[in-house]
Amino acid sequence: MRPEEQGVEVVVLVSVGRHPITGRARRADQDARGLELALGLEARLPGSRIGLLHAGPHREESESALRGYLGMTAGTGLDSLTLLEQAEGADAIPALAEHLAAAPPQLVITGARAERGEGSGLLPYALAEHLGWPLVNGLAAVEKVENGVATLLQALPRGQRRRLKVRLPAIVSVDAAAPAARQSAFGPARRAELEATPVAAELDLELAEWPMVPARKRPKRLKIVKSASARDRFKAAAAKAEGGSGQVLEGVSSEQAAEAIFKLLREEGVLPR
Amino acid sequence: MDEIRRRDPRREWVARNRLHPEHARALAEQGGGATSEWLGPQGVMRKNPHAIGFMGPNGVKRIDRSGAQQGGRVSGAAHQAALDRRRIVTIEAPAFLVAVVPELSGGRLSSHDKDLLGLARRLADADPDHPGAVLAVVFGEHKEDSFGEAGIDRVLHFGDEAYAGFAPEARLAALMAVERELAPRHWLLPDSPLGGADLGRRLALRLGERPATGVWQVEGDGEAALGWRCTARGAAESLDIQRPLPRVALALSECAEPVDETRHAAEPLSLMAAVPRALSRIEDLGQVAVDPAGVALAEAEFILSGGNGVKDWDAFHHAAKVLGATEGASRVAVDDGFMARDRQVGATGTWVTARVYLAAGISGAIQHLQGIQSCDKVVAINMDPGCDMIKRADLAVIGDAGEILSALVAKVEQQRGGQRDAA
Amino acid sequence: MLETLLPILIFAALGLAVIGAWRRIRLWRQGRPSVVPLFKGLAALPRRYLVDLHHVVGRDKVISNTHVATAGGFVAAAVLMILVHGLDLAQGILGWLLLAASACMFVGSLFVARRRRHPPARLSRGPWMRLPKSLMAFSLGVFLITLPTVGLLPSDAGHWLLALLLAAVVAWGLAEMVVGMTWGGPMKHAFAGALHLAFHRRAERFGEGNRSTGLKALDLENEAAPLGVEKPADFTWNQLLGFDACVQCGRCEAVCPAFAAGQPLNPKKLIQDMVVGLAGGSDAAYAGSPYPGKPVGEHHGSPHGPIVGRGGKALVDADTLWSCTTCRACVEECPMMIEHVDAIVDMRRFLTLERGETPNKAPEVLDNLIATDNPGGFAPGSRMNWAADLNLPLMSDLQQVDVLLWLGDGAFDMRNQRTLRALVKVLRAAEVDFAVLGHEERDSGDVARRLGDEATFQSLAKRNIATLDKYRFQQIVTCDPHSFHVLGNEYGELGGVYDVRHHSTYIAELHDAGRLAFSPWKGGSVTYHDPCYLGRYNGEYEAPRRVLEALGIELNEMQRSGFRSRCCGGGGGAPITDIPGERRIPDMRMDDVKESGAALVAVGCPQCTAMLEGVVDATAEVRDIAELVADALVVRPAAQAASLSRQPQLEEVS
Repeated sequence: MRPEEQGVEVVVLVSVGRHPITGRARRADQDARGLELALGLEARLPGSRIGLLHAGPHREESESALRGYLGMTAGTGLDSLTLLEQAEGADAIPALAEHLAAAPPQLVITGARAERGEGSGLLPYALAEHLGWPLVNGLAAVEKVENGVATLLQALPRGQRRRLKVRLPAIVSVDAAAPAARQSAFGPARRAELEATPVAAELDLELAEWPMVPARKRPKRLKIVKSASARDRFKAAAAKAEGGSGQVLEGVSSEQAAEAIFKLLREEGVLPR
Repeated sequence: MDEIRRRDPRREWVARNRLHPEHARALAEQGGGATSEWLGPQGVMRKNPHAIGFMGPNGVKRIDRSGAQQGGRVSGAAHQAALDRRRIVTIEAPAFLVAVVPELSGGRLSSHDKDLLGLARRLADADPDHPGAVLAVVFGEHKEDSFGEAGIDRVLHFGDEAYAGFAPEARLAALMAVERELAPRHWLLPDSPLGGADLGRRLALRLGERPATGVWQVEGDGEAALGWRCTARGAAESLDIQRPLPRVALALSECAEPVDETRHAAEPLSLMAAVPRALSRIEDLGQVAVDPAGVALAEAEFILSGGNGVKDWDAFHHAAKVLGATEGASRVAVDDGFMARDRQVGATGTWVTARVYLAAGISGAIQHLQGIQSCDKVVAINMDPGCDMIKRADLAVIGDAGEILSALVAKVEQQRGGQRDAA
Repeated sequence: MLETLLPILIFAALGLAVIGAWRRIRLWRQGRPSVVPLFKGLAALPRRYLVDLHHVVGRDKVISNTHVATAGGFVAAAVLMILVHGLDLAQGILGWLLLAASACMFVGSLFVARRRRHPPARLSRGPWMRLPKSLMAFSLGVFLITLPTVGLLPSDAGHWLLALLLAAVVAWGLAEMVVGMTWGGPMKHAFAGALHLAFHRRAERFGEGNRSTGLKALDLENEAAPLGVEKPADFTWNQLLGFDACVQCGRCEAVCPAFAAGQPLNPKKLIQDMVVGLAGGSDAAYAGSPYPGKPVGEHHGSPHGPIVGRGGKALVDADTLWSCTTCRACVEECPMMIEHVDAIVDMRRFLTLERGETPNKAPEVLDNLIATDNPGGFAPGSRMNWAADLNLPLMSDLQQVDVLLWLGDGAFDMRNQRTLRALVKVLRAAEVDFAVLGHEERDSGDVARRLGDEATFQSLAKRNIATLDKYRFQQIVTCDPHSFHVLGNEYGELGGVYDVRHHSTYIAELHDAGRLAFSPWKGGSVTYHDPCYLGRYNGEYEAPRRVLEALGIELNEMQRSGFRSRCCGGGGGAPITDIPGERRIPDMRMDDVKESGAALVAVGCPQCTAMLEGVVDATAEVRDIAELVADALVVRPAAQAASLSRQPQLEEVS
């Protein structure tokens, strides 16, 4: 451990998630990854402190989901969560911004998008705009924190990474590329405390106005062949629908087999260029 | 649309004369490639049997009369012809601007970008009497030369070094300069993690707009402020939110059909005022090399998975490296200690969602097949034509996994070498 | 001289033994309180010892007779010696009896010595190697000093030096047999074992045909109640007593599938580690087989120190606990009636509930159980997809049926769906009035409980019980022995008492009642694999064999079958926690099948099917009993008559 590395004060914003299949309340995947990142940071940088922050209504369902985060803290000394209690349908951003501005930490970690409500992914940006802090999205790892500057790894597609240096305080958002969250244990979750403080609620009237329906399956785009030749158009129209059993090549040479596979890989665009 | 056919009788004669030293060249010129059919001087179709077919594996020429092979040959020319037939559209005095910030992954317009530009065109062309213009704001170096075909009327290029890499602050400052000077009516960005998702949200908040995110459908709506209504995905893809289209919209891929019938001017544009330098608190130190083998299985989009039929594991690892695939394994391969446990695919291992799953020497136990349920394309290489993996596969090859993989590796390497030579 | 020396020796030994006993009892009392009827337990002791314990010991006749001779001789000799030599009541027959008892013990000790000449690997060495000599010293010494007492030798025979030597031998014997009993020598097993039998945590397991295999529920209502076992002192006092009773005979080690597969578990070592933890210290003195791949002497513990260290080494490594398949083979074999599986699950509970350290895929499985009520994370609404064409009657439509068919999570597994279809076909053929819960069914909670997640288990169990309470049915039939065990043996404590039957039992009953008829078996030779949760957990060894017999199959039994059946490796969440070993348990089981020469192995459990079918290059086919029955079904004469009566109508239509 280098001497100039010092502990950081981290606040992890957590929300009530929603299981994609059953819709039950749970710890949100991205937020839990954010907490995992913070816990990893705490383990590496002694003297770090983690705070958990949530703004929303205090109900039984949401409480059990929030306790899911606290269940991850076994053996870390973190045993409470600050709950900014708001009415249903209130906008969480002003309450969170105010709370963070009052006692600014060095690093705020949040998931990229909520699993409930609008889920627009605006929250980290709104907070960054409110607080005037830099923001990095798609965080994969925090490499080090030195003299108020954090070196981060940002996730790029196909598992690639980009190294960034950010002056603290900063907001970082994590998505599926961040380390997977550890198991949530029942005991610590049950014992932990929710420190609820009621805050003034600004109702999100705009959102309430918009009609929301369970997501419809998006139509699959058809391959429309706009070819000059009638023959091509006919072939496209008469082509067998995809699916069914695939093509089987038997008794061909390795080269031909490789050729066929190569063609498919190139069509799918998975080969590196 | 200059469609007058001009003929060169001498060339046609050379093309007909197989013994003429320039025969091959003339033939190639005539058909714009290796055409095997053309209209002769008497108006009769002429065929050149030497130009059709392909060399078979045994060095014998084979002719595929199903037309598939032939179609492939002409497609290049046909494509060219189709492009030529595009209507050229020039919008001199646009009524308004639709600004699009394409993600330009790899320096080219991605399919997501093209869909988005299609959407932009819909917004711009809604009123034929007062058409808007699509303005593309392009950052950094790019290799794209078909902005016009994608439906772009104006291109504003910020090629400065300061905009390269991850530079959200500089880019935001540039977009704000565009906003001040050109005041587009719409701002459209792709809602892709490192494309517009980040920049679009920053822009919206700077503009004080509440953006629509995850937009996948836009419909006209007279009551809305901008005349459009959109459907946006919310709550982790589980809700559809209907709302009036705001000024800033972040759209998903396939939000509209890409432009394919018109060609636009793609006129370069520049701003009058210089973009103010933003003080950056984020410094990009460049990309870090990551081993594709280390990518988590569940997220990988191309998996090369090995099973009992793989004998040479070093060659397997090499193949994965060359193909740029993430490595997976069947339970047996893991049990036998050839692969780590976290590489196991299947109901008892990892459920994968790859676009292409290449199974080498895996016969396909039920648990394994369950684990690859959500893969788009499955390619199987196996010795046993009756195994379950072959039944599941979209493309199955019967043969030795090691041999075919090495042939595939050779093929890919050769292709890559060829490309480098051409470039 | 001996007359003065002997009472001193005897009463000194007894005194030391009493002090030792008091100290030992204090060690046990470090454990958590557990209410047991003390006097009733003591009163039941002789029966538990003579019947239940010897039923287990008696599986090996030589050892059993050796033990009867040695232990019986010793108990008699010790009592008589106190009377004869200690209290000097040498009149009449007592002396002769003492002679006979010590002679008998001597003969026994000869057999013990013979066994110790080339001890099998499962036996511990160390202090145990001197035991036969100590036994001989005691029996021979007592025999010799009694000779003058009964008058076979003159009382002043021999030199005083000889007398002193004899006294030394007797003192050695007494030190080992009486003092060692309470101070931690090999004879500790007699003292602790007797009390363990008397104060056993599962008193209900004793008695002919009784078994008690369900795990005991944690009190989750009380927030102060501990969640599982973190340190040795967190076990109940009678569990600690049970560990201390271990004789290190290694029968558990010999049958443990994880040990055989080279996974880091040895039930005997585990129990000995608990004894180390109970007394405090290091495991260096342990003289038996270690956990495979883990050298002895690197672990240490104390009664109030953690059993599983966080990051470092403590008493036991976590992978040892997660290697167990909860097959109960060790418990079944243990002559001291030690409950290994209870202890392992208690320790797992702490790791899961307090530390959140369930290994590998287990957290994902537990999260799935919480979020989707099934371990695979499938949409609960897709539970009945496999039966879309079967038109299964639903409980919610019928409200009341004879048989509730419990599908289990096999409903999501493509392989098990074949079994389920076969079972439905059989039930329909027998015209059973049955229904399924459909989407109302949830996972029984078996995996969650074995993985130590008692909270999820109880949540699932309570919701299942609430669902079952809505309907009326005679019995539950299931093809999943795990669900069978949980519903039948573990829901009771949470308020759900049901008559549950495994499908093999039920099919046997249907066949006995003449409601099923089979065509004769035409296949090759068949063997039967006893699922742990059907056999050892529920004692059902007969019904599956009766069904197979009814099918006309002559079983080719495997070497290890019945109560000694080897686990398939699929229980206790072992495939999920997936602790690496040198071999795979199912591979070993399929080797057993191969050895029996059978071309087909009949099973009765979805887990076993999946594990055994997962074996590469297996020589035998794996089929569920339900599938075999469904294939052999022929129309019963009665049904034929029924269909005949319907035929004219059909003709009219056509």
